[in-house]
Amino acid sequence: MPGVTLRELTRRYGGVAAVERLSLEVRPGELMALLGPSGCGKTTTLRLIAGFLRPEAGEILVGDRRLSSPDAVVPPERRRMAMIFQSYALWPHLTVAQNVAYGLRLRRNCPRAERDRRVRDMLRVVRLEGCEHRYPGELSGGQQQRVAVARALVVEPEILLLDEPLSNLDANLREEMRFEIRRLHEAFGITTLYVTHDQAEAMVISDRIAVLHRGRVVQVGTAQDLFLRPCSRFVAQFVGRSNLVEGVADGRDVVARGALRLRVASAALAPGTPVTVSIRPHQITLSADGRAPAGANVLAGVVRRATYLGDAVDYEVAVDGGGVSLRVTAPPPVRLSAGAPVTLAVEPEACVPLTEED
Amino acid sequence: MRQRWLAVLGATVSLLGPLGLPASALDARLEAARKEGKVVWYTSLALPSAEKVARLFEAAYPGIKVEVHRTGSQRILQRVMQELAANIKNVDVIHTSDAGHFVLLKEKKLLAAYTPAGVEKFPPGFKDRDGHWYGLRATVSVIAYNTRAVSAAEAPRTWKDLLDPRWKGKVVTAHPGYSGVIATHVLALVNLHGWEYFRQLAQNRLMLVQSAVDPSGVVASGERPVAANGGDYTFYKTKKRGNPLEIVYPKEGVPLVVSPAAIAAFAPHPSAARLFTDFTFGREVQQVLADSEGLYTGHPDVRYPADKPRLSDLKLLTVDPEELEKRSEEIKKRFVELFGA
Amino acid sequence: MSRGTAAARPAVPARIAGVERSLPVWALAALILVLLVALPLGWLGWVSVSSERGPTLAHYAAALSDPRLRSALLNTLVLAFWAGAGAVALGAPLAWLTARTDLPGRRLVRSLVLASFVTPPFLGAFAWVMLAGPNAGLLNRAWRALTGLDAPLVDIFTMPGLIFVVAIYTFPYVYIMIANSLELIPSDVEEAAAILGAGRLRIAVTVTLPLVAPALVSGFILAVLQALALFGSPAILALPAGFHTVTTQIWALFQYPPRVETAAAVSIPLLLATALLLQLQKRLLGRRGYAAVGGRTGQRRAIPLGRWRWPALAGVLAVMACSILLPYGVLAKAAFTRAWAQPLTRDNLTLANWTFTFFQYSATRDAVLNTLELAVATATAGAGLAALLAYIASRRVIVGHQLLAFLALAPVVIPGVVLAVGLFVAYTRPPFVLYGTLWILFVAYLTKEMPVGYSQSEATFRGIHPELEEAGRILGAGRLRVLREITAPLARAGIIATWCFVFIGVIRELSASIILFTPATRVMSVVIFDLKEEGHFGAIAVLGLFMLAMTFAVVVVVQGVLGRDVLGVRG
Repeated sequence: MPGVTLRELTRRYGGVAAVERLSLEVRPGELMALLGPSGCGKTTTLRLIAGFLRPEAGEILVGDRRLSSPDAVVPPERRRMAMIFQSYALWPHLTVAQNVAYGLRLRRNCPRAERDRRVRDMLRVVRLEGCEHRYPGELSGGQQQRVAVARALVVEPEILLLDEPLSNLDANLREEMRFEIRRLHEAFGITTLYVTHDQAEAMVISDRIAVLHRGRVVQVGTAQDLFLRPCSRFVAQFVGRSNLVEGVADGRDVVARGALRLRVASAALAPGTPVTVSIRPHQITLSADGRAPAGANVLAGVVRRATYLGDAVDYEVAVDGGGVSLRVTAPPPVRLSAGAPVTLAVEPEACVPLTEED
Repeated sequence: MRQRWLAVLGATVSLLGPLGLPASALDARLEAARKEGKVVWYTSLALPSAEKVARLFEAAYPGIKVEVHRTGSQRILQRVMQELAANIKNVDVIHTSDAGHFVLLKEKKLLAAYTPAGVEKFPPGFKDRDGHWYGLRATVSVIAYNTRAVSAAEAPRTWKDLLDPRWKGKVVTAHPGYSGVIATHVLALVNLHGWEYFRQLAQNRLMLVQSAVDPSGVVASGERPVAANGGDYTFYKTKKRGNPLEIVYPKEGVPLVVSPAAIAAFAPHPSAARLFTDFTFGREVQQVLADSEGLYTGHPDVRYPADKPRLSDLKLLTVDPEELEKRSEEIKKRFVELFGA
Repeated sequence: MSRGTAAARPAVPARIAGVERSLPVWALAALILVLLVALPLGWLGWVSVSSERGPTLAHYAAALSDPRLRSALLNTLVLAFWAGAGAVALGAPLAWLTARTDLPGRRLVRSLVLASFVTPPFLGAFAWVMLAGPNAGLLNRAWRALTGLDAPLVDIFTMPGLIFVVAIYTFPYVYIMIANSLELIPSDVEEAAAILGAGRLRIAVTVTLPLVAPALVSGFILAVLQALALFGSPAILALPAGFHTVTTQIWALFQYPPRVETAAAVSIPLLLATALLLQLQKRLLGRRGYAAVGGRTGQRRAIPLGRWRWPALAGVLAVMACSILLPYGVLAKAAFTRAWAQPLTRDNLTLANWTFTFFQYSATRDAVLNTLELAVATATAGAGLAALLAYIASRRVIVGHQLLAFLALAPVVIPGVVLAVGLFVAYTRPPFVLYGTLWILFVAYLTKEMPVGYSQSEATFRGIHPELEEAGRILGAGRLRVLREITAPLARAGIIATWCFVFIGVIRELSASIILFTPATRVMSVVIFDLKEEGHFGAIAVLGLFMLAMTFAVVVVVQGVLGRDVLGVRG
């Protein structure tokens, strides 16, 4: 099971770079999500990997096979990959069984009996027994999705590519299919690239997530890495919500903003440089009586607004002396209302200074 | 269908053996023609007449098909020349109503010299002095009118009568750029009355049709009550079919149009072409042309219907083929200038 | 081909093995197209400036200084402009009435519009000779009998007569453009005006009309292009009246002795005029095309005509009577009578025209066979080639695909007669001597029908999501295999429809055939024209009805395959 290496890939459309000097390493057997807003180049990256597009610079390797470079591109049909498309791309003129069997028919060493068996097995795996002879048009959206999955997996590809495969499903079905795809990945262990703009989806499904922005990979890591240690303003805001506090380094691990001083997770700041600190709303604890754990940053403030959200309460707190307000997520019920004085406590580990620009 | 049966029957009979035919040179030629299988005839003879002649030949010589390509004389010349320019050899027998064509074709060495059996008895106007072409048929160009629209008393009697303004918008003419009969007609009348005649005629805003056959239809339908020209045989046949139509043979004389036939020098089916030419110049076909088609011919033994005037009773305006050839451009050009198209 | 070896080392030669396997197919399709279009036009241009003593502009000088050629040019402009205007005057109200109002019998009207769309214009012109010849024409006779007047009601052998006949067979082009455009306008934009107090007519003029204006102008230009290129109708109606149009003039220049160089020189201005018009149309549509009329989900409610319902229907039927009912009727009468101008009495009725046409007239069989052979061959090759080209362009398979799209649509600007002149020049000399064979007609038809085939195919491929093909590629199928196993089956209905469109176009083709045929390669339209020159009305009517029957049979097939009508207007 080979991994995938992208090196300095560049691809433009009409002079505008869709992907620019993009590098990424996908480990063998890993499920990597490419996460980013629309226009970030994630689909272009996937299509470059599939061989539908030729890079203008850079190269793509699968294991030690070089599949794409500006002067040679192995055509898609010779890449031993499979892909699941946003539109599912099921062939409406073929039955479910014929759709699934198509890739196997192209394999020379797969006799008919074996092909039939593998199609049957695969349809059972995706829970579509009994649908063999129906046409895609006669299936529900979720069933169509599963046919697309079966068609891709039955050929036992080296690499599996998924292009926003769940975006056409309604919310409940989408939730269910996330776990289904994760289950199948664990069962087959195929090296997989999964394009999505939905961070929750990326977190549920993937081993690691690559966040793309403006044609580049801005951060790679597990969901927890990205959440707890975002490297840039963009990641901090795109993956989950975050409070961003702009200040100036006042020591190796202290950021100051007016009268406000925060001890932060890093100990390598150059004093005097401007620094943005990301603080997740749920990592701030809030108390009415001024109590705070030892070692935490303690901030005093006034509640501006409290919004009841059912499973949480969202507070907006104006912090004294810093000219900033912070959002705080706390468990219900609403214990403080607007105008109440409050004490906030944040562990230094939860104050992440952002090292990259954007 | 009937023709198909005839052909099958004929073929069967000929397979069974020549029924009393003397084994001779004739047989050898027939054999050669059979082998060629067909003869291609570019003809300006009115379509039903041409098809009838073709069917007669096919019935007489089963196994040899006649491909009839009927169109106007000028179109035939255009086709022949265009095909030759592209090195296409398709036509065997050429038959148009513009004797000038044969002067031109002979000059360009495109005609084979061939004298059909029995034509030595034809009158001089029907023969080329070098034996390259012979007149297959003749007609005279005449005036005709619709008897429902025009009474006999008012009907034009002479070519010059047509210049009367009361015929404005009521006369049809065929086109010398299409029809050899009309090209001959125009030259004969130019020789008689000068181009001035046509200049004045054009003032009457004539309807222009193409074929010399068409005026008979136009007059019969009443679309125009008077025809300024056209082969008398077409009017004769139309009248015979019960149409309200009368023919006028103007006193100044009627243009005699002899329509020659010749074998192409490059004919792809030369034997069949000779057989076909002999057949069409034979008494049988010549008599058919006279009887059912109302044509004149050069054959001395042909008898004409009683209701047709004899050629000898008519004052004939003849034109010299050489002159017709020389002035062909002028005729077409001036005509188009005067009549518009 | 073995998969094992590729894994071991970087797969540099894969491009040669993978992509270029299909490359010859694309390259061949592209090459054929370039040959089809460029060769005749190249020769046309060259011949128009060539002489024995090197390049010259003498042919242009001769053409433009000849007063008859000049007047032919002028006649063509007059004809095209007024026929276009007439087509708009007929097509626009008809489209509005059938698309937006509660006019009774809308389906019937649409079928009749479709019928006039597929009726060969030269047959219509021919029928109108029998209907409105100033003296024998049936309408004029009826008029005289009714009024006792001597003057005819209409004289079809005049410029207005010609314009009329051309307009009643070109208005469907305007109709299609406008009806399709009206389909995209939701009723609420009109209702918004109604709320503000505008009356029905006011709404139509101030709201609806501006919205369809691009379609209207575009339809006008399309109709003008059609009228410019027509040969049959002017040959049948203008020549007897003693005037030429450019197309008949070009044709006349082929008479012996032929003046091919002058014909080429006359063709070029016609070519430029059509190219210019098309460019204009493109710009008009480009600037504020259908995108401006984007609201595709809006509801459309029929506008009640009220007391105008029946008068409107009467008007519509009057138009349809002119283009369909009367002409077909008079053709049928001519086919079954001895003398078409005489009343329908028992004596006059006959089947003789049918037996003559099909059993005695030897040209019929060959012409029908030639026509069918050419129609099947052209439709098959044309649908195939158009599909390949549209595929190349829509999937951007090779470099220069935009150029291919342009070339495939380019023949739209080439009038049939002009194309024929180019082909005649190109294929009467080595290396390709095709004149005298059916091949030259095949090439002409293929070229002439390419824009129709291409735009049909292009629409077909636009409807097939590229991911369907990519899904096949990524599973291991090469481009050609995907084309065969996935794209082709999905495009089947569209390709069959394209086939039928080309087929219909071929069997009615006259303007190129009339120059390219030889006696051995006659087609039905040419035989009809030949018969016309000799005045055989009965036989023409028989062959014409036969041609119409073939056309309608094919139309029925298309409707079945597409599940919609040929005009592209959803019912």
